[in-house]
Amino acid sequence: MGPLAINEIISENTNLFLAFIIGIAFGFVLESSGFSSSRKLAGVFYGYDMVVLKVFFTGAITAMLGLLFFSLFGWVDLNLIYVNPTYLTSAIVGGVIMGAGFIMGGYCPGTSFCGASIGKIDAMIFIVGLFIGVAVFGAGYDWWDNMYMAKFLGSPKISESLGLTDGVFAIVLIVIALGMFFVAEWAEKKFARKEY
Amino acid sequence: MKPLTRLAIFIVPLGLILAAVPQNTTNPYKLTATQLLEEVNTRTQFVSPETVADMIVNKDPVLQLIDVRSQDEFENYSLPGAINIPVADLLSDQYADALNQDVKMNVFYSNGTLHANEAWMITRQLGYGNNYVLEGGLNYWFENILNPQKPSSTSSDEEFAKYDFRRAASQALGGGSLVEQQANTKTASPKPVIKSIPKKKKAAGGC
Repeated sequence: MGPLAINEIISENTNLFLAFIIGIAFGFVLESSGFSSSRKLAGVFYGYDMVVLKVFFTGAITAMLGLLFFSLFGWVDLNLIYVNPTYLTSAIVGGVIMGAGFIMGGYCPGTSFCGASIGKIDAMIFIVGLFIGVAVFGAGYDWWDNMYMAKFLGSPKISESLGLTDGVFAIVLIVIALGMFFVAEWAEKKFARKEY
Repeated sequence: MKPLTRLAIFIVPLGLILAAVPQNTTNPYKLTATQLLEEVNTRTQFVSPETVADMIVNKDPVLQLIDVRSQDEFENYSLPGAINIPVADLLSDQYADALNQDVKMNVFYSNGTLHANEAWMITRQLGYGNNYVLEGGLNYWFENILNPQKPSSTSSDEEFAKYDFRRAASQALGGGSLVEQQANTKTASPKPVIKSIPKKKKAAGGC
C-alpha cells in the first residue's frame, strides 16, 4: 500500500496489517493456481508446464498497462513509483543462484511457503535451505560486500536505455510476451507429460 | 477461440493506444486553487522579521534563508547564511533538494514580498512544505530591524519591548550606521552547502 503509507495516510501498523491480508490473499491465489506443486513450477525449465512463465509475464504486462494508463489519466505520478535499484553484478550472480535453487528445489521463495502451508515436506526442506542461505549471506557479508554493491546503475528503465518512449516499449513488450506465450504453448505440446 | 488469441485481442490494442499517446510527463499539482487561496487568505506563509532575526542571532540551524533576488543583488547584500535562488531559476533541478525537504525552515525573501511570494506560491503548488516568506521583505527589515525607531513615550510596554528587541537584534546583525558600510562590501558569509536529503523510503516488493 505504497502511496498510503508514504504519505502517512495510514499508519505503519495499518500498513503491516494490510500487507498481512494481501499476503494471505496472494498465498491463497498461488496455492489455488497450483503454484504449491514443485513439479508444476519446475516444469517451466523442462517445457512441459509453462504456467509460471505465463502467470508472471501476464502479471507484469497487466501492471505495466495499468501504470501507464493511470499515468496517462493523471492518477499516478510515475516518478513516485519505487523502482528497485540495479546493482548489475549482484543481479547476475543472485539471478544465477536463485535460478539454480529454483531448478533444484522446485520452488521460489514465495511458493515454498505456499507449499509448506499445505504440508509439503520438500517445501519445508526448501525453507530450511532458504534460511541457511540467508544466514550464510548475513554472516559472510563482509566477504561479498564489494561484489554486492558493485556496478550500481541507479534505477534505469529499459525504455530509456533503448531511447523509446514508455508507450512504444509497452507494445514491443506485449508483442514479445505474446510470442513467448505462443512458444510456451508449443513447448507444452512437444514436451508434454501425462502426470506430474 | 483460444485463450492466447483472446488475450492478444485484449492487450494489443491497449499497447497500441499507449504507443500512440504522448507520454504524460506533467507532475500533478498538489493543491487546488481553492486550497491555495485559503492559505493565502490565512497568511500562513509569512514569518515575522522578529522571528527570523531571533533565529539568526541564536544561530538556529533549522533556519534556511533563501534570497530570491538576482545574483547581483544577492552579492551586493544578503542576510547572514542566506543562499541565492533567483525566482527565474526556481525550477532548476539543482535547487530541488533545497526547496523540497522536510528538515529546514526555508524563508524566502526579496526586497518587498512580491518575488518571495511568487517563489512560495510556486513551491507550494508543487506540494513542497516548509517554505515561508519573510514578512515585509528586506525593505521592512532595514526600516524596523536594522534601524528601529524609538516609539513615542506614550506607547505601550509591548512597543518598548519590541523596540528593545529590535535594537539588540540590530546590534547583533550589524545594523544602524553599519548598514551602508556593509552594503558596499561583499558579504563573505560562507554559503552553506546544499545537502541532498535522501528521499523517503519507498515500499519495496518481491516474489
